[in-house]
Amino acid sequence: MTTRRELLARLRAAVGDRNVAWRPEDLLLYEYDGTIEKKLPYAVAFPDGADETAAVVRACNELGVPVTPRGAGTGLSGGAVPARRGVVIATTRMRRILEIDPVNRLAVVEPGLPNIQLSEAAAVHGLFYAPDPSSQKACTIGGNVAENAGGPHCLSLGVTTNHVLGIEVVTAAGEITWLGGRVPDAHGYDLRGAFIGSEGTLGIVTKVVVRLVPVPASVVTLLAVFDTVEQASETVSAIISAGLIPAAMEMMDRTTLQAAEAGLQCGYPPDAGAVLLVELDGLAEMVDSQAASVRGECLERGATDVRTARDAAERELLWKGRKGAIGSLGRIAPNYYILDGVVPRSRLVDVMATVADVSARYDLPIANVFHAGDGNLHPCVMFDEREPGATERVLSAGAEIMRACVEAGGSLSGEHGIGFEKQKFMPWLYNEADLENMARLRPVFGNEGAFNPCKLLPGGTGCGEMAHQEAALRAAGPDAYV
Amino acid sequence: MASDTPWPLPLDAPAADDLSRCVHCGLCLNSCPTFSVTGLEAESPRGRIYLARAVDEGRLEMTPAVQAHWDLCLQCRACEAVCPSGVAYGRIMEHVRAQVAAAPKKDRLQRRLRSFALRNVVARPRVLAAMVAPARWYAGSPLRGLVRRTRLLRSFGRLAVMEAQLPRRPGKPVRPGDTLAAPLGAAARVTLFTGCVMSELFGGVHRATARVLARSHVAAVATPGQVCCGALHAHDGDLAFARDLARKNIDALEGGDIIVVNSAGCGAAMKEYGQLLAHDPDYAARAAAFAARVRDFSEYVVTLPGRPAGQLDARVAYQDACHLAHAQRIREQPRALLREVQGCTPVATAGADMCCGAAGIYSLVEPGMSAELRARKAAQFREHAPDVVVTANPGCQMQYEAAVREAGLDARVMHLAELLDEAQRNARRR
Ligand SMILES: Cc1cc2nc3c(=O)[nH]c(=O)nc-3n(C[C@H](O)[C@H](O)[C@H](O)COP(=O)(O)OP(=O)(O)OC[C@H]3O[C@@H](n4cnc5c(N)ncnc54)[C@H](O)[C@@H]3O)c2cc1C
Ligand code: SF4
Ligand code: SF4
Repeated sequence: MTTRRELLARLRAAVGDRNVAWRPEDLLLYEYDGTIEKKLPYAVAFPDGADETAAVVRACNELGVPVTPRGAGTGLSGGAVPARRGVVIATTRMRRILEIDPVNRLAVVEPGLPNIQLSEAAAVHGLFYAPDPSSQKACTIGGNVAENAGGPHCLSLGVTTNHVLGIEVVTAAGEITWLGGRVPDAHGYDLRGAFIGSEGTLGIVTKVVVRLVPVPASVVTLLAVFDTVEQASETVSAIISAGLIPAAMEMMDRTTLQAAEAGLQCGYPPDAGAVLLVELDGLAEMVDSQAASVRGECLERGATDVRTARDAAERELLWKGRKGAIGSLGRIAPNYYILDGVVPRSRLVDVMATVADVSARYDLPIANVFHAGDGNLHPCVMFDEREPGATERVLSAGAEIMRACVEAGGSLSGEHGIGFEKQKFMPWLYNEADLENMARLRPVFGNEGAFNPCKLLPGGTGCGEMAHQEAALRAAGPDAYV
Repeated sequence: MASDTPWPLPLDAPAADDLSRCVHCGLCLNSCPTFSVTGLEAESPRGRIYLARAVDEGRLEMTPAVQAHWDLCLQCRACEAVCPSGVAYGRIMEHVRAQVAAAPKKDRLQRRLRSFALRNVVARPRVLAAMVAPARWYAGSPLRGLVRRTRLLRSFGRLAVMEAQLPRRPGKPVRPGDTLAAPLGAAARVTLFTGCVMSELFGGVHRATARVLARSHVAAVATPGQVCCGALHAHDGDLAFARDLARKNIDALEGGDIIVVNSAGCGAAMKEYGQLLAHDPDYAARAAAFAARVRDFSEYVVTLPGRPAGQLDARVAYQDACHLAHAQRIREQPRALLREVQGCTPVATAGADMCCGAAGIYSLVEPGMSAELRARKAAQFREHAPDVVVTANPGCQMQYEAAVREAGLDARVMHLAELLDEAQRNARRR
């Protein structure tokens, strides 16, 4: 048995007295991330650099204390919540840009760097970092790597894994190693690829080499207004079938529009049934002709209005609304539970019908935001966690929606990760052998079960305490995996 | 001046609905100066709201350590401006401070002294004038040069900060009832809000404001009877006293005139009088009507037709005052006015809209964080070397005086009104 005193002493030895949080009021603030899951850590360590990080990991391993990495805590699947308590390792002291190399179009950064600060710094060279999660003002590059984060502009440019060349990691065993490097297509096994999206279950990223891309010469942003989500969904399929690949194609339903407009005054039509936000970029002539085609597709499928942003300021305003849309739902209810399902674009309309049905049956308002181009939906179930039983109801409503996504041939997560909350749904997609194979990767990196426990893969000892989950699964029906 | 309302009122605890509005999405984190310096959740808006909520729900005691996290908040409201969920952070923090004041556990003596000084010095014009007089004299005297050359105050921490912050030429005070520049044939009349420190140390800004308005045929009157706006008291949690001051101002400035305010902090507070007095049956409606008449100087001036041209050859770094940009959401108007001035080249510095660390009495209460934020501004000034630093709030102006000196520059620090006044005068001479 490890005493608290012993643990704190080891952590302080690793990172210095000032960089360990242990007071109750400090710990309380590391019990949450962007979701509704909560669990208090025993301590929080703030290492600077790979050596200190490795020292913390080794100390925890020796004492048998679970470890959970944490970036900015904007995650939407409970990934940074210390499910079995233990030590949270926060990367906030590692947020420097170590190098920007405009010739080779790459940057070397620390994991705690907020995503947007990289693009801001690269702008002087006419470059930017493409993956742009809506949370980019806050979320960290390390968190992005862990979640293989996407964003509106990943439709044409690809998600995080397409933009990360190499990472320095401290493995779950506490060893420092590089996966990948400064050049793409290194030989041997692509361990970099295996690590990206591993949700902090294999180790902690301490440095990242990312690709930078040139700022496009010309950008056109359109806002198409529809009466119904169905019309907007059909338009999405039509645009893709026409061979157009917009840089981004986002959909918002009426509830979302109203909240975003109230919160951010971004010029959205609050009484529309749905809008599509479509962005095209590239060379000027090409962009203009593509914009004309997109406009045509929209009008043909019932758009009542198609607006074009006149300048950068207007474009920014349109995006401000989209990027703040989820946060603005706080205006409607004190809590939201955001889902992250992926469905084939052709099934978007059916799945949306199921979502509407679940909303009506559970009597819970659901707002919808989509990365429509990828068929990635984000139904947000709104509720007040202070109402007794509300959280359980919400989780079971969520489980039904996830089930519908899987049954439609989709998957459990587009970008927010499986994390804590969806690990038990994994058997809907994978059989036991598949899951076992994935689990075998963990010991390779030294994770014997205590490194970010209860995340990504189902099972594991001590993970069953989350009452919410159990209740949700029971309510999801007899064929749900428990 | 005794307060006639019981204090604290139950309504002065943060409302559970205000607190539950935060969905801990974290989007505000990097707009927060104290989070960007420390990287600690406890020094972030999300963390501070979570702590308030934990206290509210009885999960946490209001210990000195908890209070320390709230104390470090600048109340700059940058978080509020970026929060998509519309969390009323400014209101939450004022109420949190009222709660702290009612249950003082930490620095009891210091808190009492502060509250005493705010009530009995800041809010009492004659006492304030007497206290400020030596500083005013010192600011323009040869003694100042001597003190600076000999670095006499180096080891006197807070005193040295105050010394560095004093404006270079305070100008004669402008107090309620004083006569200001009048236009020939006024098209409109407005009340100029004189304020407390503003009136004593920044009379020059008031005069410049009146002249700029006069050149657009608006007569500014320093209406008698007006008092301190109460912002400093509200931020300190002394809401009862802030309400008293608000009621006095509402009584004194009754009528239909626009109230022009050239101090961002005062303007923000007065635009929120409706909220402050919402539970006062006699004043609620009057307070709301009053608030609707309040305009920031820049907000008002951009609406005036036929503004005279201005001319000033200078590289100008405009720095947003928090309570202008974040609380009043006025960012464009001052910049637009500067763009109109011929010869004036805007210099964009990084973090122009991040708090400078002045934050009312913050630079005296939390000198460490304040100095760190000032150093960031100084570093930007060093990098861009502007000729003039312009802002729209007296406290910030004082902090920028210190920052410019820290940067080793000779740049002038001006209020937007002073710059416009000078530019308009230059243009006429041509
Ligand atoms: C309003 C809002 C909008 C969002 N929009 C999007 C979106 O458009 N696209 C998208 O993909 N996501 C989105 N997200 C989710 C979230 O922002 C991303 O998952 C992001 O990548 C998380 O980064 P973070 O720094 O906050 O990580 P955290 O939440 O702190 O952690 C997330 C996971 O990463 C692990 N981790 C963190 N740092 C490291 C590290 N250095 N090494 C190893 N593991 C680490 C943690 O253990 C955890 O499992 C949104 C979230 C919010 C609140
Ligand atoms: S204050 Fe607003 S932006 Fe900040 S975490 Fe709360 S809801 Fe999000
Ligand atoms: S008011 Fe300013 S210092 Fe306080 S939490 Fe908000 S952003 Fe941070």
